[in-house]
Amino acid sequence: MGSIDTPKSEQNGSTTAITDAGAKSSAVDSMPPPLTKQSNGTMAETEISKKRKGGVLPLEVGTRVMCRWRDGKYHPVKVIERRKLSPSAFSDYEYYVHYTEFNRRLDEWVKLEQLELDSVETVVDEKVEDKVTGLKMTRHQKRKIDETHVEGHEELDAASLREHEEFTKVKNIATIELGRYEIETWYFSPFPPEYNDCSKLYFCEFCLNFMKRKEQLQRHMKKCDLKHPPGDEIYRSGTLSMFEVDGKKNKVYGQNLCYLAKLFLDHKTLYYDVDLFLFYILCECDDRGCHMVGYFSKEKHSEESYNLACILTLPPYQRKGYGKFLIAFSYELSKKEGKVGTPERPLSDLGQLSYRGYWIRVLLDILKKHKGNISIKELSDMTAIKAEDILGTLQGLDLIQYRKGQHVICADPKVLDRHLKAAGRGGLEVDVSKLIWTPYREQG
Amino acid sequence: MSRLSFRPRPLDIHKKLPIVKSVKDFEDDDTPTASGTRGCQLLRLSAADSDFSVNNNTEVVQTPTKKLASEIPIPQFDAVDTYERDYSSTFVQPTSYVRGRGARAELGEFVEYDLDNEDEDWLQQFNQEKNLISPERFEIILFKFEVLDHKARERAGLITPTFGSPISVLLQLDAAFEVLQAQGIKLPVFQSVFYYWKQKRERWQKPILRRLQPPPPVNDTNPYNVFRPREKTHRLHTRRMQRRENNVQSFEKLRQVRRNLGQSKLILEELIKREERKREAMEIEVSLQRLQMKYKHETELVDDGFSIPGGYPAFSSKFGSSEEEFLDSDDVEIFHPRPAPIPRASAAAQMFADSNHPVMVPAGIPKQEFRRRIISNTTRWLHRMDPLDPVLLFTKPLVPEKLAAAGIIPPSNMPGAKSDAGEVKFHGRIGRGGRIVFDRWNPLSLSQINFDSSFNLPPKPQASMYN
Repeated sequence: MGSIDTPKSEQNGSTTAITDAGAKSSAVDSMPPPLTKQSNGTMAETEISKKRKGGVLPLEVGTRVMCRWRDGKYHPVKVIERRKLSPSAFSDYEYYVHYTEFNRRLDEWVKLEQLELDSVETVVDEKVEDKVTGLKMTRHQKRKIDETHVEGHEELDAASLREHEEFTKVKNIATIELGRYEIETWYFSPFPPEYNDCSKLYFCEFCLNFMKRKEQLQRHMKKCDLKHPPGDEIYRSGTLSMFEVDGKKNKVYGQNLCYLAKLFLDHKTLYYDVDLFLFYILCECDDRGCHMVGYFSKEKHSEESYNLACILTLPPYQRKGYGKFLIAFSYELSKKEGKVGTPERPLSDLGQLSYRGYWIRVLLDILKKHKGNISIKELSDMTAIKAEDILGTLQGLDLIQYRKGQHVICADPKVLDRHLKAAGRGGLEVDVSKLIWTPYREQG
Repeated sequence: MSRLSFRPRPLDIHKKLPIVKSVKDFEDDDTPTASGTRGCQLLRLSAADSDFSVNNNTEVVQTPTKKLASEIPIPQFDAVDTYERDYSSTFVQPTSYVRGRGARAELGEFVEYDLDNEDEDWLQQFNQEKNLISPERFEIILFKFEVLDHKARERAGLITPTFGSPISVLLQLDAAFEVLQAQGIKLPVFQSVFYYWKQKRERWQKPILRRLQPPPPVNDTNPYNVFRPREKTHRLHTRRMQRRENNVQSFEKLRQVRRNLGQSKLILEELIKREERKREAMEIEVSLQRLQMKYKHETELVDDGFSIPGGYPAFSSKFGSSEEEFLDSDDVEIFHPRPAPIPRASAAAQMFADSNHPVMVPAGIPKQEFRRRIISNTTRWLHRMDPLDPVLLFTKPLVPEKLAAAGIIPPSNMPGAKSDAGEVKFHGRIGRGGRIVFDRWNPLSLSQINFDSSFNLPPKPQASMYN
């Protein structure tokens, strides 16, 4: 039976079908004896040296090949980077690969044995000059950027996208420990250079200081008396609390938070300091303290009426409604300020989904109940959602039609319910009565 | 009712849109554009679902990049075994919302520094199972070194706002030992720690405590360097902050603004005066030319009549009228005292002053004589006009003989036309663009053309004309 876990048959590669690893193993009687899974590089020496002499190994950056993913199946990848496992001349490499079907967050270092070497594409990867940025890159790199350009990167212009790709192409930190969880990272984050030699970092759950060894964290915890984010608690409902942290007053915390968040946000930039930002930390509270589950940042003064800069729910807490809570909260703050707001672009793929869901739910709920006419502006004033976002949402659902010489909003209850269902369930609710907050004022 | 080129008007966000709850409200379903005004791609339903796209023209675009959240894979996470042990359950949530205190750094008590790998390794080596100094104590000492060195550099004025040149150590061993004697560490141990720290600082070329490391300069383009300070000028809220400031600078600025406004006011006032003058000058020009036109036209008649003494009385009525006209509102305007001298008007006025002032006609002068004088004065005046003035040729009457010589014959009377006074004799005029025009109808008096009718009507005394 096709067993996904035992990679015995995969290395020989003389069968043709690559995609379904499970099916292969039973059809390999004519093969050389199956290999047991061992640590990297100990599969039949003849095989490897054959490959090496054949010029296939080590794989060049830019090579396209099939690679076994965590689901046991083989997926097409592209080699982004490689490094030797040990300084010896005969040491094997490990390869940093990008799964072309998925977002960059799943890029990782893989061992040779995970790669299906017979599937190596023999297309030569020339260096071409990218016309937009003038950066020399391989044709494959360019193709990859164009591929990923579709998904969640639309609002970055081509030049900044290529620059961004260049210096963030390899994750530096692979795993972090934060409170209860050990989490695989998603993206590169520009930690100080002293941390370049490290692939795992330990974060203090409350002050967000990061350390390279577990013992260092444990020593830190003995002296760190912070049990919740610094700053004011502005919302508390049940076990859920929201803290507002001023980047200027708590600079180290703000910077730590940005380093941490960048590990999970692709397009966040840490170019400028945290002084001009406010951070809203969402926490679940218990007898160990107030534990961060997510946050969003906001400029103190935004000219483009952004009411949110970056938003993140930490991976262990995703799909529980916290993200939509954060979005709703950002709009509640806007309502209190009496301003209309919109999130800063670009939104990630997950961000887009959450926002669309939120907008659809809020707007369609109003349309279901409202009697008589309504203007887009009124909707905007009621919800603090920017008119463009409202229009985009309604038009995207074909709810604005042009009939008998004027625009109308279609609000057939059945149709609305269908859309609402497709939009997904709501997040945790914001109880506005529990929000104790005044809009930020610059202190003299 | 549907037109092929039908296009919906752009949507006005302020306009109230009717909310339609039912499909049945729509009758005209044949418009291909009725499927809407969509601009962006969003979650799509299939064509069958959408009750509103009643025709098959609607294209349903599948957007393959829009997946459900459950279809987007993410990297994994796992629980930490030692969590319960590492984090003590000593937190008691206060009943009121937590107020933030200032950052820990400012309080000075908290040891911000954490030992890193280098420190731990060195310590292990140094201690060699003898436990000369505990990690906690070691950490505290290193932290204090950093703080003391920072203070020393502050006093020496060496602190830079951004990272420029390498930062070297200023703190001396003796000074440090003095301060930290209370820590209870023997001198040789202290010395070793101090030299370790100093060496590390020399290797790093910057403080080892992150809070004390200056940020990269704003013009540093290295993408791996982060948290540059934002310059004040780039700050989005500069104006608002300026408004809030109340110092000498802003006062001076306000003063300057006031001065500028005062000057602008003066300039604008002068401007107004100048424009008023210009308008007056133009008005005078206009009336002058009007007069000119009138009298050029009528001079002909006068000249004709003048040569025939017998025919003189026949024109008396005309003269009367012209005299009246002459003495009419135009005069009033001309003789009205004006604040500034207007050359032509005054020149004209002077001429009248030279000749007998028509207004102040002594009662005894016979009318005919008087009129003669007026006419001669008028002609004199007209001839004394500025040679640079336009001649206004179109005011001269046409000479029938010359016209006939050129083959232009005035049209004869049309049969059936209204004719009260019998034969109408056309005398043409020079119309626009130099065309010769034979009018049948006087548009001004709304009556038929008689060769003795004048195109000039006395100007009505309307003050509004001069606005």
